[in-house]
Amino acid sequence: MKKRNNMPLICSCIVMGSGQLIYKQWIKGLLYLAAFALFLYFLITVGITDITGFFTLGTVEGDAWLGIEGDDSIMMMLKGILAFIMVALFLLIYYSNIKDVLNIRKKLESGREIPSFVKSVAIFTDKKFYIVALALPVVGVLIFNVLPIIFMTLIAFTNYGGDIVPPKLVDWIGLDNFKKIFVLSDLKATFFKILGWNILWAVASTFINYFGGLLLALLLNKECVKGKTFWRAFPILAYAVPGFITLLGFKFMFSYGGPINYLITRTGANAVGFLDIDAGWKARIIGLLVNAWISVPTSMLLATGILSNMNAELYEAASIDGATKWVQFIKLTLPFVVFSTTPTLITSFVGNFNNFGVFYFLRGGLYLDGYFLASDTDLLINWLYNLSIDNNYYGIGAAISLIIFFITSVFSIGTYVNSSAFKKEDTYR
Amino acid sequence: MRKNKTFRIKNVMEVSVTYLILIAVSIIFFFPILWLVLASFSKTGSIYDFKGFFPSAYSLDTFKKLFTDTAMYDYPSWLRNSLFVSAFSCLFSTTLVILTAYVMSRFRFKMRKPIMTTTLVLSMFPSFMGMTAVYLIMVNFGLINNLWSLVLIYSAGAPMGYLVQKGYFDTISNSIYEAAKIDGATNPVIFVRVTLPLSKPILVYTALTSFAWPWSDFILPNMLLKNRDLWTVAVGLTHIGETEFSRFAAGAIFIAVPIVTLYFALSNFLVAGVSDGAVKG
Repeated sequence: MKKRNNMPLICSCIVMGSGQLIYKQWIKGLLYLAAFALFLYFLITVGITDITGFFTLGTVEGDAWLGIEGDDSIMMMLKGILAFIMVALFLLIYYSNIKDVLNIRKKLESGREIPSFVKSVAIFTDKKFYIVALALPVVGVLIFNVLPIIFMTLIAFTNYGGDIVPPKLVDWIGLDNFKKIFVLSDLKATFFKILGWNILWAVASTFINYFGGLLLALLLNKECVKGKTFWRAFPILAYAVPGFITLLGFKFMFSYGGPINYLITRTGANAVGFLDIDAGWKARIIGLLVNAWISVPTSMLLATGILSNMNAELYEAASIDGATKWVQFIKLTLPFVVFSTTPTLITSFVGNFNNFGVFYFLRGGLYLDGYFLASDTDLLINWLYNLSIDNNYYGIGAAISLIIFFITSVFSIGTYVNSSAFKKEDTYR
Repeated sequence: MRKNKTFRIKNVMEVSVTYLILIAVSIIFFFPILWLVLASFSKTGSIYDFKGFFPSAYSLDTFKKLFTDTAMYDYPSWLRNSLFVSAFSCLFSTTLVILTAYVMSRFRFKMRKPIMTTTLVLSMFPSFMGMTAVYLIMVNFGLINNLWSLVLIYSAGAPMGYLVQKGYFDTISNSIYEAAKIDGATNPVIFVRVTLPLSKPILVYTALTSFAWPWSDFILPNMLLKNRDLWTVAVGLTHIGETEFSRFAAGAIFIAVPIVTLYFALSNFLVAGVSDGAVKG
């Protein structure tokens, strides 16, 4: 019995690429070897310090007066995350290296020819096309979506922000930020006030937009309406104008010098500060209406598409049974439309819950008494912006992001995964 | 007979009420836009000079001023920046999104479901949370005040929204690919020779949406571009005050018109294109 040659495998396990070299796979072996050397070099020069830095977040505080160049905690955290990613990447290459050696051995044992390097690259791009094609998108998403989210999640557990920004040292503080939000009187009061309004806003605006769009679609669907394309063009026009232009336009319209106040003063009354700091419910209602103006066209288009799929025979049967139009609407149209739009209903709820634009453009940057860096129309997402971008409260802001994530994911994960778009993707095959 | 008559009256009533509501709704949607368009042609710039909704005198001066009087508000340079960012983002995003969507639709591999679930979970984080972090990262790496960094962020994030395009590729019948395979085509060749020619409508759709997004986005450029001469149109317009209202209106109309036209053109193109995407003889 011929003994199996385990030598190249063991070599490759210890030094990446050496096994391939023993098998005379020169280019592949050298590439693996180079990757191995590069990784070791990275680990020795910066990798290990970066990883320890991730845990300590710096020990030397900088002092401009004494000329001490201190540790930059945030850079250390970023570099730490990057070092972890490098290690993960290395493990992936290491795994492919061992798989490759096993593959070569199998081919040799069965007496097949081992393809040359150029040929095996060509085979790889064909057989594993998905890896080649997805490499760039995945790296992009990792760097600009995953890394920031991991970074922000970690920031939520540090005291970064406020007075504590580099050169001061940032520290891990566990759940203190969350405790502050739920316990500290200033933050707590603001958080619950904003959360209450945010939920009310999300429910009300989703309701208005959804039924506004549905009613408009039903109206346009009526047999007696001639020139449907013409009538439909107006909402579509509103839908096509970039949102920030609409919002800024409405801000001008409701401003002191705007046309509405002009008409009011013409009747002899005093000008109304629709969007002033003390506007209260006036500003909230304007926000709801403006948001409806922007969003109703979208839900109208959606409802139109769904209504065209409805079975007309149902209505004939219903009118023979003597059902009035109202009963037909309640018993037939509404259940059908609501049933088939539940996923979009929930996405639009989440979208409205996180609707940053409306109040940012209509009355951004106002801070009201009784609120901590926010006003009574601000949603959580606006508060998050005020805290972290305008006022550098990064830690608290990140904690609020996580709370928002928790709320929205509870609402949506189930629906997304159960949605037909996700499940029945092979229907048309 | 009498019954028929009341029915007819009722019918006329219903039709007229329907049309009344339609007219009202159309006015609600059209009026603010009309107001902005007319304001852009106003002779005096300030909103305080308007008598009610409409300017008292009209002229083309504001549009001229928009492009010539650049001391305070450098609209031509904003436009150049916007065009630069949108064009390059459009190019890169379209490539990445189409590749991702095609692969996710056509291939079955071990990491496929995990990747799909991950993108869904990622999209559930407030878009803003990532942005504050991107801001911090960009500050720390000194990439702030750079138009390329905007292009990078827009393009890199684009593959996350691959689902629409994947839905399109899902409708292309497998038999086309099988036929190409039997002819000995490799996967890269199939992608270039078979898939791309079949996906013109979705390519156009993707290109247009990924152009429109940076074109009208405000939040990211406002965060990353602190230099006045790097502002995009969206950032610049928000800094125009009430006394320059007609300038704001003119600037807004000028960038809204291409987008609106594209949307209207697109809606026809897409319907025509998608129905072509089937197997042909």
